[in-house]
Amino acid sequence: MHFAGVDIGSTMTKVVLIDKSDNQLSCIKGPTGPEHRRLANEVMRQALQQASLQIDDISYIIATGYGRLNVPFADRQITELSCHARGVSTLFPGVRTAIDIGGQDAKCMRIHDGRLISFVMNDKCAAGTGRFLEVTATALGIKLEDMGDISLKATKRIHISNLCTIFAQQEVIALLSRGEKPENIVAGLHDALASRVAALARRLGIEPDLVLTGGVAKNIGMVRAMKDSLGCEVLVPEEPLITGALGAAILAKEIYTKAVEAGQVLPTKSRRLEKATFFAEEHR
Amino acid sequence: MSDKSKGLNKAREIYSNNSQRARELKAAGKKIIGYPCVYVPLELLTALDLVPYRTCGDIKEPVTEADRALPHSFCPIMRNCLDCALKGKNDFLDGMVTIHSCDPQEKTARIWESYTNYPYFHFIDMPVTVRPEALEYFKSQLNDFRKTLEAFTGKKLPKDKLEAAIKSYNQQRTLVRELYELTKPSPPRISGTEIVQVVKALTSLPVSEGNDLLTEVIGEVKSRTDVPEKKLTRLLIWSSTLDDADIMQVFEDKANVVMNESCGGIRAYRAAVKSTYDPLEGLASYYLNEITCARTFRQATPGETGKDYARDLQSRFGYLKGIIRDWKISGAVMLLVRYCDPFAFEMPSLKDYFDSIGVPSTYIEYDYTTGALAPLRTRAEAFLETISQ
Repeated sequence: MHFAGVDIGSTMTKVVLIDKSDNQLSCIKGPTGPEHRRLANEVMRQALQQASLQIDDISYIIATGYGRLNVPFADRQITELSCHARGVSTLFPGVRTAIDIGGQDAKCMRIHDGRLISFVMNDKCAAGTGRFLEVTATALGIKLEDMGDISLKATKRIHISNLCTIFAQQEVIALLSRGEKPENIVAGLHDALASRVAALARRLGIEPDLVLTGGVAKNIGMVRAMKDSLGCEVLVPEEPLITGALGAAILAKEIYTKAVEAGQVLPTKSRRLEKATFFAEEHR
Repeated sequence: MSDKSKGLNKAREIYSNNSQRARELKAAGKKIIGYPCVYVPLELLTALDLVPYRTCGDIKEPVTEADRALPHSFCPIMRNCLDCALKGKNDFLDGMVTIHSCDPQEKTARIWESYTNYPYFHFIDMPVTVRPEALEYFKSQLNDFRKTLEAFTGKKLPKDKLEAAIKSYNQQRTLVRELYELTKPSPPRISGTEIVQVVKALTSLPVSEGNDLLTEVIGEVKSRTDVPEKKLTRLLIWSSTLDDADIMQVFEDKANVVMNESCGGIRAYRAAVKSTYDPLEGLASYYLNEITCARTFRQATPGETGKDYARDLQSRFGYLKGIIRDWKISGAVMLLVRYCDPFAFEMPSLKDYFDSIGVPSTYIEYDYTTGALAPLRTRAEAFLETISQ
């Protein structure tokens, strides 16, 4: 028996396949993009190939994330909050607070016994999300993935006063023209984002162990800034992008197993890998 | 609207095209008066043979025109309502009654008046506390309102006609409460989405037609066989305004919303206007004291509760306890319209109150646009997953 979790985030699509003992058989990440959102089948195909499995071998599939409704072959949809909570608890059984900073939103979750008990998310704007770093990296002319290492060279702390992504971009340009070094500015940006997310987490209440996930957790400078802002240890999974997809796969296994034990047959979707279609397309 | 349409179908049609009846009545010689908020005492309009029409927003309408008059970080509902007015969607109105129910209403009223050209425009200055002095002042404001209406229509407001109007609206309140009795069973006999459509239809019709519609709907719902599907959670939604069926449907995809405690639901119908020698007295008391919108400051006086937070919460939110018991509520959503300060400031206390009576609750913010639907869905579903797993 095999299970799949498909996490369609605003920036990245992730697929995790597991067996009945929770062993990860494959893990594929790809950009979501405007066209890719309807190509969840492609990412799934790659994941199956990596695990040498056929789509019919998958007993139950759960889709999660922003694009969870656009996965035609998924048997059920569960929000990314519940899936992250489940995925993080599998990797860190002692977790009580999880913070996920993605491309479009930031989520803080309180977890008990592996289950989501409460959560808070950022408002709809880009402040407090990965987009804040993407936009400001562009303004600085550096690569997003280099920001962490660059920030470690900082020699002084610069305070970025604007939390709005657009205004922060202007502030960065003003700082550059004043002669501030990019590494100091990057460190300041990390502090600004971390303080915003930490404030969100404090609304919910912080209890250790605390785990940071999402693309932003790959940035060592951000992890350090989060530690400073939260005033507690911050744990990071080896692969912080896939906790949502992993949690979805584990929930798929749990839901399926529970149903089998209860003698129920869960309805499943067609196991044909086809791309999602949208109403607008059908009417064209 | 087809002649055959009745009950829920008729409510849905009116909801989808809610100015049609007002336009028909206008063509038949009636005078139509707009109002943006349920705090406006419609009884006075009806008693003078004027037709009240609630000027609602439309979440599908992108705000463009209101941008020249109102700031961005401002009540999205009032921005939307004014936008619709500036685009001429209410051009059939003969007048408008606005009210200081909250600051955005007051600010928008001034702008509405200066940007439009209705033959009648009035602003009611409504106090924000429930003190006896406030009641006296509000009554005097209603008296001024009466005088402006008399001047506009050129006729005196007879007491018996006002009393008859009060009776009709009280009947409407009774009928809406009766409708909400039908969400008590599990599954409910009527969905929260259907009720949103019915309540919006009521605010677009003369009171007698609204009461006829309610009677039809109640009869149909009592005998229907296609009741809503039973979901795991019975939700209470507490909000300033939840008057859009698409927004409601986001919640109802995964839960039964059996109580909509907002002005798109039961809020303006939970009590009745008391019979008083001076009808304005009963009206003032009802509108100031009985409508449970956060715009009114209700903290108990120190003499009543001292610094006893639990008793203070009880005095402010105690009415919800009976609802939670009688409607077997298993979860509560505090749905905040962005930038709505009066409701935002109530949330931490209300959260404490829900915690104290053991009802799981969450807080979700939305901005009254269709763009809000996807983020709203994630938050709503995640909350439902926490309570039904």
